Amino acid sequence: MLPPLSRADTSLLGRWWWTVDRWTLLAIGTLIGLGYVMMLAASPAVAERINQSRDIFILKQVFFLSLAGAIVVVVSLLSPRGVRRVALAGCLIALALTALTLVAGVEIKGARRWIALPGMSLQPSEFVKPCFAVVAAWLMAEGKRTAGFPGMLVAFGGFAVIAVLLKSQPDIGMLAVISGVFFTQLFVGGLNIVLVGIGLAGMAGAAVAAFIFFPHVHARVLNFLSQSSHTPPGGLHPGAPGADLMQNYQVMRSLEAFGNGGLWGRGPGEGRVKDVLPDAHADTVFAVAGEEFGMVLCLIILGLFAFIVLRGLLRLLGESDLFVILAATGLVASFGLQAFVNMASTLALIPTKGMTLPFLSYGGSSVLAVALGIGMLLALTRRRHGGELL
Amino acid sequence: MSDWPDTPSPLTPARRFGAPRAASVPRMETVRLTAPGAGRNSALDRSQGRLLFSAGCFALLFLALALKLADATIIAPKLPKKLPADRVHVPPPPPAGQSASQEPLLHSRRAMITDRNGDILAISLPTAAVYANPHELIDAADAAHKLKGVLPELDEAVVAQRLSSEKQFVYLARQITPRQEMQINALGIPGISFETTERRRYPFGRVAAQVLGGVDVDGHGVAGVELYFEQRLRDDAAPLRLSIDVHVQAVVREELSAAMETFGAIGACGIVMDVRTGEVIALTSLPDYDANLFGQTVEDDRFNRCIKGDYEPGSTFKLQTASMALDNGVVNLWNGFDASAPIHIGRFTINDFEGKHRFLYVPEILAFSSNIGAAKMAQATGGTLQRAWMEKMGMLKRLPVELPEARTPMAPAAANWKEIATLTIGFGHGIAVTPLHVVAGTAAIANGGVYMRPTVLAGDSGVPREGTRVMQQSTSDIMRRLMRLVVTDGYGKAAEVPGYFVGGKTGTAEKISHKGYNRNARVSAFMSVFPMNAPRYAVYMMLDEPHATKATFGYATAGWVSAPAAGKVIARIGPMLGLLPETDNVPAINAQLAQPLQPGRPAGAPAGARQPPPAPVPPPVKPAPPVAAVPRPSMPAATPPAAPAAPRDLRRDADAAGAKLAVR
Repeated sequence: MLPPLSRADTSLLGRWWWTVDRWTLLAIGTLIGLGYVMMLAASPAVAERINQSRDIFILKQVFFLSLAGAIVVVVSLLSPRGVRRVALAGCLIALALTALTLVAGVEIKGARRWIALPGMSLQPSEFVKPCFAVVAAWLMAEGKRTAGFPGMLVAFGGFAVIAVLLKSQPDIGMLAVISGVFFTQLFVGGLNIVLVGIGLAGMAGAAVAAFIFFPHVHARVLNFLSQSSHTPPGGLHPGAPGADLMQNYQVMRSLEAFGNGGLWGRGPGEGRVKDVLPDAHADTVFAVAGEEFGMVLCLIILGLFAFIVLRGLLRLLGESDLFVILAATGLVASFGLQAFVNMASTLALIPTKGMTLPFLSYGGSSVLAVALGIGMLLALTRRRHGGELL
Repeated sequence: MSDWPDTPSPLTPARRFGAPRAASVPRMETVRLTAPGAGRNSALDRSQGRLLFSAGCFALLFLALALKLADATIIAPKLPKKLPADRVHVPPPPPAGQSASQEPLLHSRRAMITDRNGDILAISLPTAAVYANPHELIDAADAAHKLKGVLPELDEAVVAQRLSSEKQFVYLARQITPRQEMQINALGIPGISFETTERRRYPFGRVAAQVLGGVDVDGHGVAGVELYFEQRLRDDAAPLRLSIDVHVQAVVREELSAAMETFGAIGACGIVMDVRTGEVIALTSLPDYDANLFGQTVEDDRFNRCIKGDYEPGSTFKLQTASMALDNGVVNLWNGFDASAPIHIGRFTINDFEGKHRFLYVPEILAFSSNIGAAKMAQATGGTLQRAWMEKMGMLKRLPVELPEARTPMAPAAANWKEIATLTIGFGHGIAVTPLHVVAGTAAIANGGVYMRPTVLAGDSGVPREGTRVMQQSTSDIMRRLMRLVVTDGYGKAAEVPGYFVGGKTGTAEKISHKGYNRNARVSAFMSVFPMNAPRYAVYMMLDEPHATKATFGYATAGWVSAPAAGKVIARIGPMLGLLPETDNVPAINAQLAQPLQPGRPAGAPAGARQPPPAPVPPPVKPAPPVAAVPRPSMPAATPPAAPAAPRDLRRDADAAGAKLAVR
């Protein structure tokens, strides 16, 4: 608990407390708290599955969630200028590491996205997401502010580099989210409506191309289409590789988890489908929440994410600094899209895409990257006057 | 943004609301908008609009999620088909067809199958499979040792090694008893779990195995009534009551088995049917198998000759020909045919083996099993009537008995039912039907003329089954006497059982090989019904490729090999079925069933064309019985023939159709 702070307190912490968006902070804190609950729900089955003792699993997650909370607070203390610097440095480092995955990465399920570190594996592209959002925002805003600064050009160049790296891993889902975020920033930044149309068409074209040229994307989309037209299990599209049969299996099981949970859920620890649900601790944790705590808690989780995203966007209406607007838009969109993609694939609303649910999924690098993004968002949306923090 | 409606021109003086005009000041002075600054403001305005739009998009996305969430949880929840029983690993999901592995866990107890008296023929016993999750085990060696204590058949080393594996699921033993399950449970070894299974047991083993069929490892019926009633046995827990009487079945199997061994036959088949209801009381085919070990059987043992084997019925079909001719009024009992010379038709010659070479009366045609006489009788009736008769006797279609193996007979198509077919079918060649076809058709002749659909299900007592009348009662009455005559005076003497008034007909047919009929491979059958004064049961005994023995004087025909077996069966099952041998009214019943071989024309009856030629009237000599009335059962072996000619008379009844008569 934070000690009551006086309005007159002008210390770093005092000024932070009275200028930060405390509602969003509360929502983030609630999500982290729910993350602990979900960790307890998923831990018995998962500890066994990842071949670790349950205690180590819990300790790790406690450590990561505490670290995430600390990162949110510390980063949110930064000034916009500090945020910009952190983002630029983070972006360069993360890009370098992402490039490194191509040569020194750990291959899991046919993709090289991870770098093995002692005690955890790091997915550097997770950090590219928030950092590039801030960097791109700065480049766009600076390009408008200073005549002759080729901001837009550099931003597109950076985006192209990221696209090539992610395509090589391959990590089409991450690329799609980063593209979506970048496009949202361009859109909010005042992109000509004709170009918006061209951009949308381009993304649709890219999606079709991914469908055609990437076998796993192809199979996953077909599986999604076949299972949504209620084909019986086993009646899968021929040619879908084994891993994608697993994806379909995962979707069926997670839907069963929601169904088993119903309105109020089976109760803490009473989930059964979670035992057979792949990735119950990570990508499909939302289904575990649905089974044990029912639709009610799922709606609360959904509401928290919606609250953070919508409040983040609407608060920018009163903002006059284009950089802050674009950076915050990018961070909010990145956070919101990630949450949406995760929940929607768990609910079989879209084809399966392995993506973590911010703060709720187990996982080291993703929760830290999300915390970094949220920290920067809170830093940028602090109340200030004339560019200076109050 | 220049299109704001209330944006004043920069040139008009700005005036504070309510202030006098003089107090107005030039706008330029207070606002100080530079050109780039104005652009930035308009850009900010546009950004605000687009932020609102983006927020709206996100709101829509989250709304869609909320709706889908409601759909998945409370509106149309997809409930799991199967929940893991406890927090132990189920096997990792198979990549495809996961329903297959889940199904055995779902099944309920399969219904029992009983015989007509309620004796259990098939029952599913609860068993369990033991499996383990090695990850949850504390001490694999200790666990293996403890398990060995309960399940001595386990190999401790193998179990210990399995329990130490990296897998999360290993089977340790299957089909253990509930008692063993309790004992293992009491050991309290963590990581050991049970899967509820069941096992189909057939307490009588080989008895009625081919009727019951069998189940596969998953407990699904794969043959016999287990297959035919698969759905019924799963859905309805009430026992399925068959018409089989397991005691009768055992007797038939035993006698058949003995005869098969005595005559070195490659196979055999025996059927007992209630002629009044069509219920099959016993149906056995040898060689057979232990129904408990269906999975290890060979094709030949599973072959059910009674319903799956199409054989030329041979002379047993002469009963059909005689009934048909009599019922259609083509002949009368006192008529007959000239059997002095073989029939030549096309390339074929029809002859009698050891024939009398004279005019034969209808009773004599049956008693001496004359091919010529039967062929002429069929010819006189005509192909059209004959085919219609076969049709209503069920000889042209697969029997609708509740056994999936039942086979369609082989008979000429209507267009191919030429005169030669009519002639040969008259004595049971040129058509191939299953033994059960023969039994069902003969039952209709004996029971008063009503064809009963054969069934292996027990009917409700007191509810008469519906049959189809196929002939007049009077025809059936005559036929009963003729069938009795075959046993008293013809080739069926060996089947006689005192007090049971057995009637019947022998039938020996050569088997068809690639080149034609094989004189040394024959099917010898005896089709009997008892008691002929009030027929109750039909007994059919058939040996496939029997070989002659010394005791049969070198003959392997039905009169020698099958008829005695039928007699033994009748003597044993009669009392079981509640029929005691008649001792009181024997002379009266004999008189009632008496049938002279050469009946005289009753006064007033029209003199038909089929009368014996007047000149050499055959002397009405009753042929000496080949074997004097010797009491069963030691008959053929112990007693030398009374007259040297005797074995010749018994020798064979169906013959000269021979290799020349491949009609198809």
